[in-house]
Amino acid sequence: MNMPISNRLLAGLLAAFLIGGCKEEQYTYGVEDVLVQPVDLSGKKSKTPEQYLNILYANLYQKAMSANQLVKATDVITSIGDKQVAYETVISKFMNDPNIILPTEESMRTDPEAFVKETYQRFFVRVPTEAEKTWMINFINSHPDVTPEHVYYSFAIANEYYFY
Amino acid sequence: MKRREFLKKSALATGAITIPYILPTGRLFAQTGSQMAEHVVLVLFAGGVRHQESILQRYLAESQELDIEGNIMYNMLTGEAPELKVVYGTTPAGQQPGVQPISRILQTPLDQQGTLFPEVRFSKAGTGHFVGLSTGVSGHYGVTRGLRQRPVHPTIFEYVRRFTNAKATDVWFVGNGIGNSTPLLNHSEHPDFGYRYAANFFAPNITFGSKGVEFLKGFKVYHPDEELVPIREMQAFLNNSFNLAGKEIPHLYNTDEEKADIKDFIRTTFERLENNQVSFPPVTDNGDLSTIGYTTEILRWFKPKLTVVNMSSVDSCHGSYTSYLKSLHRGDHAVGHLWNFIQTQIPEMKDNTVMIIMPEHGRNYEPNPITDENDWFAFDHDSDANSRRIFTQMVGPNVPANLRVGSELNPVGDAADTVVTIADILGIKQDVLATGLVDFNAMSLFDRI
Repeated sequence: MNMPISNRLLAGLLAAFLIGGCKEEQYTYGVEDVLVQPVDLSGKKSKTPEQYLNILYANLYQKAMSANQLVKATDVITSIGDKQVAYETVISKFMNDPNIILPTEESMRTDPEAFVKETYQRFFVRVPTEAEKTWMINFINSHPDVTPEHVYYSFAIANEYYFY
Repeated sequence: MKRREFLKKSALATGAITIPYILPTGRLFAQTGSQMAEHVVLVLFAGGVRHQESILQRYLAESQELDIEGNIMYNMLTGEAPELKVVYGTTPAGQQPGVQPISRILQTPLDQQGTLFPEVRFSKAGTGHFVGLSTGVSGHYGVTRGLRQRPVHPTIFEYVRRFTNAKATDVWFVGNGIGNSTPLLNHSEHPDFGYRYAANFFAPNITFGSKGVEFLKGFKVYHPDEELVPIREMQAFLNNSFNLAGKEIPHLYNTDEEKADIKDFIRTTFERLENNQVSFPPVTDNGDLSTIGYTTEILRWFKPKLTVVNMSSVDSCHGSYTSYLKSLHRGDHAVGHLWNFIQTQIPEMKDNTVMIIMPEHGRNYEPNPITDENDWFAFDHDSDANSRRIFTQMVGPNVPANLRVGSELNPVGDAADTVVTIADILGIKQDVLATGLVDFNAMSLFDRI
């Protein structure tokens, strides 16, 4: 059976289209997929006692700790087996120092959102999630006796603060 | 109790869930053997004690070629003190240095009260301090372990906590300092044991010394209800976010109540220091003696099931034989004070505590070329046969009195035995041996008698 030339041409074009159609142009821009999580903590490493103390001191006193103080404070941390106990005790010693620089209670109460954001940024070097921000603001608003010192202490003894 | 109420409230407030921890042994009642005593105190008379000046009581006769013998450890050993060239004591005003021996504390020396193994061997590994201490607390010679590494094999602290279900504050390691990786000896890296069974640790000369005064003394005590409850609630919230990654500040599985108790102890000890109430030995003029003084405070406060304390001042023998003699004499004074304190000041531990004393290793037979102010030669510890000679002394309930086991020609005991011996005293010997993780030659010293 003879197929007309026009039909043969059509069949050829159709075959070429089908074969060619399987190859879709792909563009690569060098951007890899990233799993977006609310708080990505997976890559964090623990601070050494020196790092922890240095950063803590800077956060609380807003100036650097002297090398001499750092060596002594690190020795004290090393001299206590339970690091949670050691850090909590050193932090609460700092909290008893009148030279510590803390936000005023008035500023915390006047604008708790700004206070919470600033505290997360200061201690965890990140912005809080909406859920974190909401919880902290609600907590501050519902606890009239809570002071900025209490909030700072809580952040300083939180596990996240020990990692960077 | 107010704190307990606070903790209950805090737990309720934060919604914290405490999952009861089931011992990996799978037993409800962990202990399998019978206890000889409820408390054990191990004194690691460390730093490298030469056998000649301790057990053999040769004083200057087998070190400086001077024919003067005598016992400068008369709280621990029976024997007369040297009468000539006395340099190991204190220095009264206007007199020769060290001329006044320290008065004995124990009227009956410990070798008469208990059992002495005069010829124990540090049989394997080099005679270094860290490996010696590590062997003393793990019962395993860590021949390949360097500094800044925890023991690979479990320590006696971990065995005691795991097999007796002891709390963290039931088990204490008191270090003479933080050098030589001493703080790493409170637990091993063993995957089945490790930090969850660790001992609490203090290097009290630092914790309560000038550095501690600067960074700990006067720390703020938050009100348990009005301040700590909201603080813990915020902390729990912050940790809940972070715990997604399973990371936390290193700790030793002290409960919240135990942590508060440790803080109370720190605060109280500073107060007692200020009021001269810390029970330091009558003469306290070196680090070992103050370490022992703080140890008595720990014993008085926590009444631990197991306490290990290490001393190290005798290591001055690398450069000064005179200083070594002084330290040896003071080490004996420290041990006498410690035993006397337990028997007279802690009713809960009196007649219910076995104390074990052991150097971590010995010292060389031959001196090095360094001479001191008396022109006496110093001694190192380079793993010669003499530096492998040590002793072990035990005293307390169920320990035979006035017994010597072994001799130079018939050595009995090994440095690795101490762990099994402590396990035996606390009724967990079979559990420890069944792990297969102590030296294969290690035995309870009670089984060697």
